[in-house]
Amino acid sequence: MQAGRIAIYAAAGLPDSIFFLQGIRDQLCYVPSRYHYIHDHVFDPGRTLSTPANNSDPAQLRTWLQGAARRDRAAFRALYDASSPRLYGLALRILGRRELAEEVVQESFVAIWHHAIDYESSLSAPMTWMTAIVRNRAFDLLRRSRIEGNTDTVDRHVLESIADLAATPAERLQMSSDAQALADCMAALEERHREVVGMAFFHDLSHSDVADKLMLPLGTVKTWIRRSLARLHACLGARGAA
Amino acid sequence: MNLRGNEALRERLASEYVLGTLRGGARRRFESMMARDAALRRTTREWQERLLPMAEFAPAVAPDRRVWRAIETRLAGQGQGQGQGQGQAAAPRWQFWRHGALAMWRTLGLASSALAALLLAAVLLDRPAAPDAARMSDVASLTDEAARPALVVTADRERGMMTVKVVAKVALTPQQALQLWAVPRAGKPRSLGVLGSARELSLPLPAGAIGADVAALAVSLEPKGGSRNPDGPSGPILYKGGWVRLM
Repeated sequence: MQAGRIAIYAAAGLPDSIFFLQGIRDQLCYVPSRYHYIHDHVFDPGRTLSTPANNSDPAQLRTWLQGAARRDRAAFRALYDASSPRLYGLALRILGRRELAEEVVQESFVAIWHHAIDYESSLSAPMTWMTAIVRNRAFDLLRRSRIEGNTDTVDRHVLESIADLAATPAERLQMSSDAQALADCMAALEERHREVVGMAFFHDLSHSDVADKLMLPLGTVKTWIRRSLARLHACLGARGAA
Repeated sequence: MNLRGNEALRERLASEYVLGTLRGGARRRFESMMARDAALRRTTREWQERLLPMAEFAPAVAPDRRVWRAIETRLAGQGQGQGQGQGQAAAPRWQFWRHGALAMWRTLGLASSALAALLLAAVLLDRPAAPDAARMSDVASLTDEAARPALVVTADRERGMMTVKVVAKVALTPQQALQLWAVPRAGKPRSLGVLGSARELSLPLPAGAIGADVAALAVSLEPKGGSRNPDGPSGPILYKGGWVRLM
């Protein structure tokens, strides 16, 4: 099946980044059996959005956000329909539990409705703005659940994070051009550096958390992250100029 | 730490701030630097645009229908005004912390740091960076019933100063004033100050404004000069919110 997939990607002329995404997903087999329910849930094909979403157009999202700011409920509903699968997918990835992810998405959209009027002054792209809201709230909840003594949480999320960067070609088609550019630039990083950056991004981990989880010296983790971010900056800058 | 002119360091700190690896005291110092450095805010925003699309690497999953229904219910409830509070006559209406208190504090806690992030992004964002801008140690965003920000209160523990800034349009008659209260976990609200027509107020940090026992800040509508009731507000509570410690 693996070979078949790769052949399909090659035939479709998809860039190398697909391979790194696929490679990271393959590491899921290291997930201990007690975590399988998460795996099953997250990757349950019946639940994964399968229709190509061309409604991620930033101009369209911006129009809907402006509508929500004018208290236009139909526009808000359209915004929810277009963006909630991605935002829920993110919350689920960070929190690993459906009920927590649902709570975060619910809280976030209530906040989006109330703060839509402030959106323009944030000067951000619509998806960036909404993503920041969801990610902050998910991290808040994650910190609380860690504080509440659920030592399992950290390990579980780290293990999951290895699959975090997974995306099939169908999912890639749903990505914004910004995310595709980032995926391509991340594909150019060394695999372990990529892993470290992805872990920190999705799981609210400090340098030393990452070092502990991967059993690497702290200095190494710091250097890898610093170097990776500088390379991403250069790579995205070069693409933007092209 | 002086960041001016050190472009490489500015980029590095902004990128690690967005990634999340800038932690603890360094993160709080970066936030307070951002509050008075417009260029640093722009650099940080650019890093958000670069890195947040990583969120899309997680597969999209359509949430269950109940999520939208819950959102609709929440928004419908708020649209109908103060419905829930009015049913509970046991406690005076301004003692909002007694109405279903636990659930509310949990929500407040959840909302506050996200709100603080929004505030840094939206409200304080494009204020000119005064060279002598106060260092903020704590910030509170007070919101109305629809969770719209109305007042921003900042405290500077080091210098013992507090500023109150009205960011919403509030129409007061000359006979009216807004009064700011610290609501302790137990006991009577403490008056922190009265705002007349001024939209911004700077004053020495009152005793009891900040501390572990302060559950929330609240603003009530009062006659000019403040509440005549020594035990607390005499008018309706318009805004409330909690402190977020920055440094």
